[in-house]
Amino acid sequence: MALVLDGLTKRFGPITALDGISFRVERGSVFGFLGANGAGKTTTMRIILDILRPDSGTATWDGTPTTDVPRRTWGYLPEERGLYPRLEVLEQLVFFASLYAIPRREAAARARDWLARFRISDYEKRRAEELSKGNQQKVQLIAAILHQPEVVIMDEPFVGLDPVNVSLLKEAFEEMRSRGTTLVFSTHQMEMVEELCEAVAIIDHGRLVLGGPIRDVKRSSGRQVVRLAVEGDMALPWLADLDGVSVRRPGQDFVELDVDARHDPREVLTAAIAHGERVTQFLIADPSIEQIFIDRVGRPPSDDHHLATVAADAGGTGAPGSAGGGTGVEPTGNPG
Amino acid sequence: MSPTLRNTLRNVAAVARREFVFRGRTRTFRITTALLVFVGLALALSPVIIRFFDRGSTGDRIEVVVGTSAPSMNVPLTLGALLNAPALGSGSSGGSGSSGGTSPDYRVESSDDLATARKHVVEGSSIAVLALDRTSSGDLAFVLYSKDGPIARSSLVIQQAVSAIAIQDRLTRLGVPLVDQATIFAPASFELRQADPNASSDRPATTEAFVGTFAVGFALSILLFMAIILYGQWVAFSVAEEKNSRVMEVVLAAATPFQLLAGKVIGVGGLALVQYVIVLIPAVLGILLQGQIASILFGGGAAAVGLPGGISIGMLAVFGVMFVLGFALYSVLYAGAASLVSRQEDVNQIVAPLTLISVGGYLVATYSSTGLIPIDSPLVVIMSFIPFFSPYLMLARLGQGAATPLDVGIAVLLLIAFIPIALWVAARLYRSGVLMYGQRPTPRTLFRALRGQ
Repeated sequence: MALVLDGLTKRFGPITALDGISFRVERGSVFGFLGANGAGKTTTMRIILDILRPDSGTATWDGTPTTDVPRRTWGYLPEERGLYPRLEVLEQLVFFASLYAIPRREAAARARDWLARFRISDYEKRRAEELSKGNQQKVQLIAAILHQPEVVIMDEPFVGLDPVNVSLLKEAFEEMRSRGTTLVFSTHQMEMVEELCEAVAIIDHGRLVLGGPIRDVKRSSGRQVVRLAVEGDMALPWLADLDGVSVRRPGQDFVELDVDARHDPREVLTAAIAHGERVTQFLIADPSIEQIFIDRVGRPPSDDHHLATVAADAGGTGAPGSAGGGTGVEPTGNPG
Repeated sequence: MSPTLRNTLRNVAAVARREFVFRGRTRTFRITTALLVFVGLALALSPVIIRFFDRGSTGDRIEVVVGTSAPSMNVPLTLGALLNAPALGSGSSGGSGSSGGTSPDYRVESSDDLATARKHVVEGSSIAVLALDRTSSGDLAFVLYSKDGPIARSSLVIQQAVSAIAIQDRLTRLGVPLVDQATIFAPASFELRQADPNASSDRPATTEAFVGTFAVGFALSILLFMAIILYGQWVAFSVAEEKNSRVMEVVLAAATPFQLLAGKVIGVGGLALVQYVIVLIPAVLGILLQGQIASILFGGGAAAVGLPGGISIGMLAVFGVMFVLGFALYSVLYAGAASLVSRQEDVNQIVAPLTLISVGGYLVATYSSTGLIPIDSPLVVIMSFIPFFSPYLMLARLGQGAATPLDVGIAVLLLIAFIPIALWVAARLYRSGVLMYGQRPTPRTLFRALRGQ
């Protein structure tokens, strides 16, 4: 009972968009799909939805090839949001539902229900083009879930939403999950992944970098994080002498340390006490997904939002038109 | 019914419904419908309308200045009779009628003052002045003062009439009685027949009938051409709009390219058909009732009012079939082509080759309707069976009675057989085209799209 991708490969001319992607999404789970722009997330989603066909590899849902699975199994929120600009919101939703065999009356009732929950009931008679971006996005999401699909696939669902709408969306996630809906979404907002997902897949340049349940991913990272705070001076020069320990983040409130997997993090506490420090906080934590991402991919997932460092990144990231038909895969490698 | 088939039909219907309802509500649709109803009705009633505008006129005035020439007959009267006789200045009525409701084409009046009469021509209240004189040999001599050139129809007709008057004058001076002159001037029996003994007999026999069918064939070709281009572009723009607004990807997750394409063509086609019926009903009523309308307008029994041959209901039916099939063929390919561009501005450019093919068929059809290309030339006959051209050319051939029902049937079957092929090609283009943004559609990409890569 799962969505299983096995060795998906897709080329667009000279560009390899996907290079043997395999992972597994358990039914009823919330799955995060991580990667920088152009990593191959959209192409993977399009293949699952049979909008694109892979050059090789398979995608199956409960053992059936996704090409043969009834369309109503899926709900899809594409990265490039699209509504009929001159069609009224309610009509729009009824139309999309009718493609999934939902009777018009039923579809209208469900649509009104969702519009109310997303607090946009007033817009039901408005044309889509009159709505703000955030509201259009909510309508788009309703269009994706109105037919109560078993699997909802969402490309960057949180982008462009204000904090209020983000929490509305999280509530909707929670509700769908309680009904047993499988949720797959891509994002580069790591805090969403930490908060919502049971499992993740990190892809880069068309390859799977890391995947599996979050706990396993964190453990497999070979890292332990220690937070330490003491009274007085936070310089802590003695840390430099400790074997297998490096300062990740110095600070006045606390320091964050990386501890090699071969060492016990408690050695740090022992050493601190031995150096006469008065410890006020000591915490052993798993590394964040963001740290793991940076370790494995070589740059932060939201790096595209910052200016590229010329030496490291010339011609690398920020490829324009990364939505371009799945062809926006970065042709050049990124050192890291 | 298998679930897949049911699913396909349901999605096609859903897409078609949206297209139909949404487009049907637009102002463009309402305005074009109103306009087409008007044009259709005008076309159907054109014989009556022409007659109606003609009715009030008393003809173009020609003034005659006899001067000192002393002709042997009343020249204005004779000239008037000659000019308005059906053989010379053919009246607006067809067939036999020099009698009845026909209004005269020319009105001939006598005048004493040449200078005043010439001024009338300059001012436009008369079209010409005919001045008479005698030559030294005693023959009548004529000078025509007119704004028209020597080959203008009025000049030619008047020249023909005055030679008859001159001959009449000579005969009178030679002592031939007027009664005998009437037999001398009686028109000869003359008939036009097909050279080929096997030729179909329903080719129009008279000039009026020929002009009638030519006008109808011509008008129907224009209408068909406009309808195919107009509605085909609706489909093309609808595809480009979905792609431009990126709604395509959402729809594609739910429906296959084939379903989308078929739904669009059926939706727009259905709307076009509704429009056609809305236009057709008043037009057919107009044709059926034109006799009655004419009799109300002009008085007299319905049958007594002579009207030229016009559009027939059979032609309208063939027009309907050819329109539906021609539209289906072109719009499917328009949609496939439009899926390759990212912006609506580029739609016209990408569909241009198809439009050119359409224009080609249309031009050959109109040329053969007007006789610039013989209607039974091999070019016209062969093209009238080729799916892209047959809607235009079969209609043109049929209009002139140069096609049998079998010909029409074969052309229709070929069209029907060709549409699935077009649909397959278009769905292929569509599948790869709709997700292609910002790329130039080169022949290479087209080829790759067709191979499904």
